[in-house]
Amino acid sequence: MRKRPGTVAHCRILFRLFIIFFALICQPTFTKAQQNNPKEESRLLSGEIGRSGGRLVVSLRGEPKTLNPVIAADARSREIIGVMQADLVHINRANQLTEPALAQSWKISPDGLAYTLVLRNGLKFSDGRPMDTDDVLFSFRVYLDENTHAPQRDLLIVGGKPIAVRKIDAQTVVFQMAKPYGAGERLFDGMAILPRHLLEKPFQEGKLGQIGSLSSAADQWAGLGPFRLKEYVAGQRLVLERNPYYWKLDSEGNHLPYLDELVFLFVPNADAQVLKFQSGETDMISQLGAENFSVLSRQQNGFTVTDAGPGLEYNFLFFNLNDLGEKASPDFERKQKWFRDVKFRQAVSSVADREAIVRLVYQGRGAAIWGLVTPGNKRWGDANLAHPERSLERARALLKEAGFSWTTGPNGESTLQDSGGKPVEFSILTSSTNADRAKMAALLQDDLKQLGMRVQVVPLEFRSLLDRVTQAKEYDACLMGIASYDADPNSDINVWLSSGGTHLWNPSQPHPATAWEAEIDGLIEEQMSARTFEQRKKLYDRAQEILAEYQPMIFLASPDILAGAKNSLGNFHPAVLEPYVLWNVERLYLKSGRENATR
Amino acid sequence: MMRYLLRRLAHAFFLIIGVSVLTFLFTTLAPGNYFDEMRLNPQIAPETLAALRAQYQLDQPLAIRYASWVNSVLHGEIGFSFAYNSPVAPLLLVRAKNTLLLTLTATVVAWAIALPLGVWSAERLGRLPDRVISWSTAVLLVIPDLALALGLLVLALRTGWFPAGGMASVDFKSLSSLNRIRDLARHMTLPVVALVLSTLPILVRHVRAAVADVLHAPFLLAAEGHGIPPRTLLYRYALPAAANPLVSLFGFSIGALLSGSLLIEVVMSWPGLGPFLLEAILARDIYVVIGGVLFSTIFLAAGNFLADVLLYWVDPRIRTESASR
Repeated sequence: MRKRPGTVAHCRILFRLFIIFFALICQPTFTKAQQNNPKEESRLLSGEIGRSGGRLVVSLRGEPKTLNPVIAADARSREIIGVMQADLVHINRANQLTEPALAQSWKISPDGLAYTLVLRNGLKFSDGRPMDTDDVLFSFRVYLDENTHAPQRDLLIVGGKPIAVRKIDAQTVVFQMAKPYGAGERLFDGMAILPRHLLEKPFQEGKLGQIGSLSSAADQWAGLGPFRLKEYVAGQRLVLERNPYYWKLDSEGNHLPYLDELVFLFVPNADAQVLKFQSGETDMISQLGAENFSVLSRQQNGFTVTDAGPGLEYNFLFFNLNDLGEKASPDFERKQKWFRDVKFRQAVSSVADREAIVRLVYQGRGAAIWGLVTPGNKRWGDANLAHPERSLERARALLKEAGFSWTTGPNGESTLQDSGGKPVEFSILTSSTNADRAKMAALLQDDLKQLGMRVQVVPLEFRSLLDRVTQAKEYDACLMGIASYDADPNSDINVWLSSGGTHLWNPSQPHPATAWEAEIDGLIEEQMSARTFEQRKKLYDRAQEILAEYQPMIFLASPDILAGAKNSLGNFHPAVLEPYVLWNVERLYLKSGRENATR
Repeated sequence: MMRYLLRRLAHAFFLIIGVSVLTFLFTTLAPGNYFDEMRLNPQIAPETLAALRAQYQLDQPLAIRYASWVNSVLHGEIGFSFAYNSPVAPLLLVRAKNTLLLTLTATVVAWAIALPLGVWSAERLGRLPDRVISWSTAVLLVIPDLALALGLLVLALRTGWFPAGGMASVDFKSLSSLNRIRDLARHMTLPVVALVLSTLPILVRHVRAAVADVLHAPFLLAAEGHGIPPRTLLYRYALPAAANPLVSLFGFSIGALLSGSLLIEVVMSWPGLGPFLLEAILARDIYVVIGGVLFSTIFLAAGNFLADVLLYWVDPRIRTESASR
């Protein structure tokens, strides 16, 4: 019988229940046709050869909402859709480069405006119906339709105009852009090709949003991914089965996926997921918090936990730099004078103890950051970006230069005051539902106290916080985190551009409020249409340097991607891009196949 | 009788209307909406979010949204879930069934234990068995439901006797009927025990108090004086006389069927309304929340109505009072 883990460990878990092909872009050539294996037609994958059969049980934190990629907005639905659908070109989550998927090759025209994609032969949807360029045309018509409100639409507007798609023949399709697109074929990642034979009618009737519910009959839904729908039990589980028409083969020519079934159990929270994993009810676990990782790594009873390194999530502090006009109270105007002073922001950044945050919040399972490109991003970090050590002296000197001074109170405590003699007091909003950020805010509060700043941490329910920050704009400072979907800078475009909705310190500006924001806008827009990686990198590095100099976002830390799996699971290699553990689901296999299958 | 029942039905109707208006008001006035989280997705433009809000009428005045919601209630949909992109009623119904399975079982078990235990304790008022029961129920009362549930999960994990949450095994569909029942029973045991332990002290104490009150009533002393045996005295005379507060409590138990187990469901990963509503509240899927509250209110009103009917039947004073109006 399995050794039972210690009570203390359980209690700790239980008691927190509540709570690229890009390389080719860099090359001075416009042709990126894949040098196909002579055996082509079904893609051959290198790597550990697995054995077929068995069932993999994983837990999902909550229930997915839909199987329909056009309306899926939540991470869980996207994770399920990711294993049921396929895209034309895919980003390999391990090396962060593009690789051929449904398209066996592609070419970019010399002017960078036309992408010609050639589909593989013999592709079939999971219901056995053939797939061709008409399905591609249909899919992009759906994504670009204004009435569908697909989240993908914004990605398909390049240079202010929607991408035009035209068919050359049954296997060749051309995507025409109004302007060259720096990220190139990465654009196609995650754009699932939809089954026209099932969806055209509901689309024409304006009912596409009502299609693809989890309770759809298995024969009412089809995709090109490794698994297809088998059974859904509301609130409990989703069972997927091997897609017999899947197009990938391993390097020995065996049909993928290896697994017969993939079962998602819906578990309401992270700690319940850990319990299920510990008790052996699930085979794999991802998105572990540092504490749970620590508990599991002490046990490692028939399973192994893995630290994939820092992901693409960046946590940061920002001050309210919005121009509130007449809405601003005199008190807030006074505070905003401090916030607008770059030396003030640099002082706050200088005193923030990032290493302590990594040590205490992430138990060492994370990385201190000074920019929004985390160490998990293999290609876009700026090696020249300064990583200054925490310095109270430098922070004090900066504040002094900015006209701040210190007074000593009756109890001997030092208070920072502005040039008007008013004490520096402000609040930091943070999400009450994110324990890590609440801890981060408390540590930051302590750091700022050392500068004589009186800071109140205000935990708010997440949507209330978003409403305060993005709508009402009634806040002093806020601690937040964003997880990039891709390593390419374009995934964070709305953070960079002053007109962007996630340019959080002063979003959706009609015109850049400052000269440095205007300069960043120019650099980012230029890199978006630059043709080579070197050109883009140079521009992007400069933008990162400006951001680091003006500190509108004071970057703090990035957590590691932590996951675990039973030792019997083969090809388990967590990545730092979503989906962290299921990115290579077609190659996951059970070493003791049959036994697990009948567990 | 008819007038009395109609009056109680009218009360229930106005209660449901009042609760629906207040729930609608509070949930829609709470800051933030379902689409706010998408604001943090740098790939989605503010215009797309505005279009989505408009599509789901979130840009409409409150009165129009309420009227639209009432219309959907009349069509049996109870609003539209933003998250699931589907009517709320079928989403709630399937989960409410799971909740009812759990709470009905727990209620039956709790009453089946509480009634004899309360009567037995009342019979021995002030003696050792009564004191032991009083202390035990007091201890159970001070233990939070959460701690009870967590303790039981530790037991499950340490012994391996019970699954660590959930409602059924992955293999459930392939099991024989008997094994399905066995599997369901294994999964239900811990949440039912947690629910029973959390409700038992209140029930036992109410039964004990009600029976103890009656046991000292003059009519029972007189009956005892006439030589009626103690058993007959207790079950034929004392219990019907003590039934009045217990019937009200029973009505309350029915009312709490949908809402009483939400916390336990979340902790024990039971696929009922608990995890579903918690997620909906956090995601601001407001029509799901309103629908959940509406369901619970209907159960509360039904429980009260049932209690009123039973009281009318059990208590001759109410019949007399009602007839004299």
